[in-house]
Amino acid sequence: MTTMTLNHRRRARTFTVALAAGALALAGCSSGGGSDPKESKEPEMTSQGITLGTPADSTGPAKELPGAQKGGTVTVLQRDAFEHLDPGQIYVSDELIMQTLYNRTLTNYRIDDKTGKVKLVGDLATDTGKSSDGGRTWTYTLKDGLKFEDGSPITSKDVRHAVERLYAPFQTNGPTYLQQWLSGDGQKYRKALPDGPYKGKHLPKTVLDTPDDKTVIFHFDQPRAEVPFAVAMPNIGAVPPEKDTKEKYDKAPVASGPYKIKDFKPGKGVQFVRNPHWDPRTDSIRHQYVDTYDVSFGHQWVDSTRRLQAAKGDDRNGMTFTNAVDPSQISTVLKDKEAMARSMTETQPYVDVVSINTDRVKDKKVREAIAWAFPSGQYLQQFGGPKAGEIGGGLVGPTLKGYNTSFDPFQKRKYPGGNAKKARELLKAAGEDGYELVYGYGNGDTHQDAAVVVERALERAGFTVQKKEIDQSTYYTQIGKVDNKYDLYRSSWGADWPSASTVVPPLYDGKNVYNDSANYSHLDVPWINKEIARVAKVSDLNRATAEWMKLSEKIFTKEVPAVPTFYNRLFTLWGPGLGGVKWNAVYGAVDPTAVFVK
Amino acid sequence: MLRFLARRTLGAIVILLLISAITFFLFFALPAEPARLACGKNCDPTSLAIINKNLGLDQPVPVQYAKFMVGIFVGRDFAVGHCDAPCFGYSFVSQEPVWGTIVDRFPTTLSLAVGGAAVFLVFGVGIGMIAAWRRGTWVDKFVSSLSLLGASMQIYFVGVLCLAWFVSGLGIMEQPAYHSVTDNPAKWFSGMLLPWLVLSLIFMANYSRMTRSQMVEQLQEDHVRTARAKGLSGRTVFFRYAWRGAIAPIVTIFGIDLGSLFGGAMVTEYTFTLHGIGRLAVESVQLTDLPMLMGVMLVSAAAIVVFNILVDAAYAFIDPRVRLA
Amino acid sequence: MTTLTKPDDGATPPTAPGADAFLSVRDLYVRFSTEDGVVKAVDGLSFDLERGRTLGIVGESGSGKSVTNLTVLGLHDPRTTEVRGEIRLDGRELTGAPERTLETLRGNTMAMIFQDPLTALSPYYTVGRQIAEPFRKHTGASKREARSRAVEMLTKVGIPNPALRVDDYPHQFSGGMRQRAMIAMALVCNPDLLIADEPTTALDVTVQAQILDLLKDLQQEFGSAIILITHDLGVVANTADDLLVMYAGRAVERGTVREVLRAPRHPYTWGLLGSMPRLSSDVDAPLNPIPGTPPSLLAPPPGCPFHPRCAFTGEVDGARCHTERPVLPERRGGACHLTDERKQTLFTEQIKPRLGRG
Repeated sequence: MTTMTLNHRRRARTFTVALAAGALALAGCSSGGGSDPKESKEPEMTSQGITLGTPADSTGPAKELPGAQKGGTVTVLQRDAFEHLDPGQIYVSDELIMQTLYNRTLTNYRIDDKTGKVKLVGDLATDTGKSSDGGRTWTYTLKDGLKFEDGSPITSKDVRHAVERLYAPFQTNGPTYLQQWLSGDGQKYRKALPDGPYKGKHLPKTVLDTPDDKTVIFHFDQPRAEVPFAVAMPNIGAVPPEKDTKEKYDKAPVASGPYKIKDFKPGKGVQFVRNPHWDPRTDSIRHQYVDTYDVSFGHQWVDSTRRLQAAKGDDRNGMTFTNAVDPSQISTVLKDKEAMARSMTETQPYVDVVSINTDRVKDKKVREAIAWAFPSGQYLQQFGGPKAGEIGGGLVGPTLKGYNTSFDPFQKRKYPGGNAKKARELLKAAGEDGYELVYGYGNGDTHQDAAVVVERALERAGFTVQKKEIDQSTYYTQIGKVDNKYDLYRSSWGADWPSASTVVPPLYDGKNVYNDSANYSHLDVPWINKEIARVAKVSDLNRATAEWMKLSEKIFTKEVPAVPTFYNRLFTLWGPGLGGVKWNAVYGAVDPTAVFVK
Repeated sequence: MLRFLARRTLGAIVILLLISAITFFLFFALPAEPARLACGKNCDPTSLAIINKNLGLDQPVPVQYAKFMVGIFVGRDFAVGHCDAPCFGYSFVSQEPVWGTIVDRFPTTLSLAVGGAAVFLVFGVGIGMIAAWRRGTWVDKFVSSLSLLGASMQIYFVGVLCLAWFVSGLGIMEQPAYHSVTDNPAKWFSGMLLPWLVLSLIFMANYSRMTRSQMVEQLQEDHVRTARAKGLSGRTVFFRYAWRGAIAPIVTIFGIDLGSLFGGAMVTEYTFTLHGIGRLAVESVQLTDLPMLMGVMLVSAAAIVVFNILVDAAYAFIDPRVRLA
Repeated sequence: MTTLTKPDDGATPPTAPGADAFLSVRDLYVRFSTEDGVVKAVDGLSFDLERGRTLGIVGESGSGKSVTNLTVLGLHDPRTTEVRGEIRLDGRELTGAPERTLETLRGNTMAMIFQDPLTALSPYYTVGRQIAEPFRKHTGASKREARSRAVEMLTKVGIPNPALRVDDYPHQFSGGMRQRAMIAMALVCNPDLLIADEPTTALDVTVQAQILDLLKDLQQEFGSAIILITHDLGVVANTADDLLVMYAGRAVERGTVREVLRAPRHPYTWGLLGSMPRLSSDVDAPLNPIPGTPPSLLAPPPGCPFHPRCAFTGEVDGARCHTERPVLPERRGGACHLTDERKQTLFTEQIKPRLGRG
């Protein structure tokens, strides 16, 4: 569940990473961590198909881990500071994984301790929801014994309040699926409750109903098959109305999970301690082994890698949610057997593509030629090779339901350097030999190196490439302009839940062509628009996910709005003092909910 | 002296006002869009407009500037409440008061600057003195080449290397971190030691070279020869006469260095994961956080301006020929 | 090749004639190593000085007069300077004496007045402190005693309001006052030997005279021996008893002031006299600067070092001037191959008329 914002921040900070990375080139030796066969044991992600759990799966407590014990402090090293603690404002992956410690939502993802298999189960709710009225009405029943950190019970009013406050103008950062489905597309939903619930108004019972303390009912105007996923987003939880401090809630939210916030120092760190009012019998997902999670920010990858590899002092019990092993240190870590035993390389839901500006490159043949010529494999190598990602064939990555391993229309896996011959033929056929392309890229080291590789491959295929550097900190603003003057630029997208429904519409719906939209290709094709509207109404979850997948593939082969490059991977370490470390494939981060200090 | 201070303070205020205006207006000349950062993933123009309104970015730039400047002196009201003077507003990113954040980060920068400066001043000048005392001998040559080596180092290089060797490898030094000096002086010291040493390494070279050349120059001065002709011992001549003459340029550079260190030591702070003013400055630029950027710029500029005044004032004490007016 | 004839070869009796002199310099050689080579700054110099007398040393810049005196005080840089020969002060050998010994002598038994009082005084300390400093060091006086001594000295050298001016910094003094302060500083310990290195060059003419008078007065009071270094023969004429003319690190003529000025016995001295303006001379009479430039001390000319600039080498047999170094007689005379008689004739017939003297 990456977001644009994450990547925005991530790229914005490449400067500082590069700063340190340059220095460590020495320690990292030379091989760059690409070709060593020993490291090829990357995850074979088949479409594992996230399933909906039963009420039994939703019933706590979570199964004890062998050897787990209570106590201890876990040190968490993160690069980017958490900006938001208010579950309503959370949308980036490091914050998504963090909020699982203190925030509970109607449904949530249960990750098997051994297999890593993901199941959607009820979290605050007893199950993943009951639909009626052909998928237009969804009913959730809250579990017994749910309490906030102050000991007060969690009721349906708190859930209603959590949803209604998302309509207030200060709530701008979080996901908007549920609000839009309940009250209207785009930002129109805000009109249904312009001040949120803060001036005594509520959504009508025909939209959101709480007939008793335990029941929450959502009414939609069309079938909505994916409500169980939408209510797993962090903003569909419980917020006590009398404790809601609006903007200030972002600094001190009320916890419903096993941990509560003890000390939040914006920009520096946050400490989580046990929430004594959390009852393990109500929770089938989380444990409460550790006494304290001590999260500190500002650790460049170079720094966290060094510390976790050395595991000195407090770092013995150290981990990171989303910091990767720095590309410059990959080969050193690979040689360190002891450290490798406490590492993981897992696929994230983020997919990197290079978007083609279809306003400028109108000829589909030319776009196809670009797609064939693009050196995705060499490009990935610049970002760290197989430890940083897997060459992608399309728009939808391995973590999504219905992922098709064999989909690779431009044979990116076969031609890591691009198929120049095929591209040249296509370009000739289009009568566009020497076609001039403007390639825009961020001015960080990695992107600059990658740009050279891209330029060479495209020129080999008969293009004339003009490289244009864009300042890192304004990169997304610049490429987000509808009238930008670039033909090609990198962008990244992650699904909000394991279905292509959170990929295809935001990226390729024609109504999303405006400044700062994720539709960086400016694609507005009638058949696609029509198809998106149709699939959105499919009421069966399994059929819907399959249809979205099919549509995503069709868009790629028929319109070529982007070049697939790679599916992101996270290669990361944790300290030898920890057990129960597992991978959260939905958020693309290391999951802390079962961690214990040995 | 009073007149001097009054005149310079006035000048400083004018400079700071100019810097504030330039920073503010230049920011809007950037293709940056601060609202974008608070706009989540499914951003659209309507929601951008809401955020712009929330941040006050919907108003004309001169109006925003005026409000900002007035806020510094008399405070300002925001949606989240009143912000007392000096009010630099709230960070676009963390929604924290800018002034509070700066006050929070300053002790780190102060510790780094003062400690580092103490180390590089004592060792830099000391080494320079030794080289000057033994000028022409192997000691001088050894120390001078060591200086050159130090000067050609980069903090991020030496810093990362030291971390790898002394902290992660040998484990003889503590993981650098800032602990409050009032809470636990010992921890404060051990946490800052490596940053001090690495930061000072780069400066030290500069100071030792400068001290040496200043001392050698001073030792050839006529009045130093006079002092020897009076029968004063070599030591007295060296420390009382030559050293006295060498102080002024060292103090000048030191004032400028310390002033800019108070504005944050960016690379050092990143290398050692310290949360000081330098990091704040870089982040505010990268995250297009205008209020924070303004706050940090003004504080850094003020530090440099103040230290310049202090250096000039110090001249009155160092050199009796200088009279302040 | 130069036939090096040491000036004291044979001429010097076993007991050096200067043995009983207060200051006796014998065969002094001073060489600096520089990047360009070895500079022979002083090349076999000998002279004596009695108590209560003033020796003037004249010569162009670079003739070795200042170096000689710095060497006497031991102020040369021992790392780059090679000193050979003898310097005896009151019977004590100074060359090779430990720095500690020299420190107790400097400012105490022997003191020096430098040329430019603006740069020679430290700008960072008060005049009083700078005067008091050597006094405290050498006499062990208290701060208070030293201060009143400084006031006393300032009074002696004629500084008005000495009790107030003692706390002034040098930059608050005028040029003449600074030189007086300098003298006060040099005399604070009643030195037996005072070396004044161009003490009046930086001053205007009226002040010059005052300072020279002051030196004379003080000498009478303390009975010190004075070495007066200058390039100005006028200054010497009024102040010194004996005169030493230096050229290229060597003494080329010596005698009493009267002797040398009346009947100079070296063509270089003639040149010096010719290049000196006189009030008594006709304003239209041209000055006659010595042709050519002072020789490089890295590679001084063989034979008589003055021969490239000398108009009279033709008067000497063969090429002696080019090959043989002339000897300087012990008490009176010039280091020149011309015979004294010939020089007398030449001076009377050719030089004197040009000097415009009667």
